[in-house]
Amino acid sequence: MIKNYFRPKTIDELSELKYKTNGYLFSGGTDLFVKLRAGIIDTDTVIDTKYLDTKGIEIKDKKLFIPINATYNELRYFIKENKLNNILEDIVKTIGSPMIRNRGTPVGNISNASPAGDFVLASYLFNAQILIEPSSKKIPIKDFIKSPGQINLEQNEFVYGIELELLTDYKFYFEKVGRRNAMIISIASIGILIKEEDNKINDIRIAFGSVAPTILRDENLEKTLIGKTIDEELFKYLANEYQKLSSPITDVRATKEYRKSLVHNLVIKAYNNLFEKVVR
Amino acid sequence: MIVKFKLNGKEIVKDVPVYKRALDFLRDDLGILSVKEGCGEGECGACTILVDGKNVHSCLMLAVELDGKEVITVEGLEDKIIQNAYVEAGAIQCGFCTPGFIISTKALLEQNKNPSSEEIKEALEGNLCRCTGYLKIEDAVKLAAKMYNKGSDER
Repeated sequence: MIKNYFRPKTIDELSELKYKTNGYLFSGGTDLFVKLRAGIIDTDTVIDTKYLDTKGIEIKDKKLFIPINATYNELRYFIKENKLNNILEDIVKTIGSPMIRNRGTPVGNISNASPAGDFVLASYLFNAQILIEPSSKKIPIKDFIKSPGQINLEQNEFVYGIELELLTDYKFYFEKVGRRNAMIISIASIGILIKEEDNKINDIRIAFGSVAPTILRDENLEKTLIGKTIDEELFKYLANEYQKLSSPITDVRATKEYRKSLVHNLVIKAYNNLFEKVVR
Repeated sequence: MIVKFKLNGKEIVKDVPVYKRALDFLRDDLGILSVKEGCGEGECGACTILVDGKNVHSCLMLAVELDGKEVITVEGLEDKIIQNAYVEAGAIQCGFCTPGFIISTKALLEQNKNPSSEEIKEALEGNLCRCTGYLKIEDAVKLAAKMYNKGSDER
């Protein structure tokens, strides 16, 4: 049961509290309070980060900066206002429900490091750098997330913000498979960004959620695709390659066999949607 | 911990234990019974309240987080247009989910005077109803939007 509730206002204050109390940080509480109630987490100390003085969401040096406490809805509004019309909005609008998006935060999502985290997938696609305080270091998302639920942080450190690349001229596709429109924790998800030139790949990024211990993205495989012609054959090859790379588990949402089939089929479906084809 | 906030237009100052959820605080200590506990984990939306104009789950919020905020529940809506529209459209059966739907409807109509079916579905996707099948709820939101717009034409 919660006995201590703190409202630090500065980075140092927050860091010291975290170090001394070993308490749980929260902003929207959409994850922490569910886990506390279910008994998955037991703590007597929670630290409310919303009183921390931070700047807002901003674009700086062609990067999108999302600070701690910025909610999904604030991010969505920012994307619309600044016409950053990209896959990010497609991803954000599928997260939780309006009530969750009014409280939940991207920083919270990556800090939970779930392989099903939709914002974790977005962070992999946009080569996110994670800004950590009070050390002021920046680490790439793939080094920040170690394994399901495990992140690379010292006892006194916390995530201050996320920096994403701003990509233009990319075609994109995002889909998550689940049982209901709202509140889905995906059975599997896919995000693809493609930049093409004369029907050839100029740049490509492919990421999958919920089919491996962390988000599945293979940059070496992506590099071998540059210059290749975009056609049915290429995507059938990719469907098979990613199916081999995936290592899903069976859980309450689906079996590993089903998830394996999804990886294959989502690649083909992405091709059909991106290039208006009808390959089965 | 002492919290000070506005509930349905009224200033509240009260001492509340830090472990208490906003939901329990509103229902048990302040008698706001429109706020219901369904799932207690953010899936059903029956506990939805407006905090500074945004619809949020009161079950996933501590009472101390209400400090300094402006809270609106169905009891505090300035008119009964949405409630009447729900009755008129037959969008209520057992009624347990209704306050949550009304609050989410309010949050939508404050932002969007003429929502499309698609926009209504998205705005209400966090609220579950096990009786009506949702179609009449969509009708109710459209009816409420019409009634609000008619009202502003007359003014």
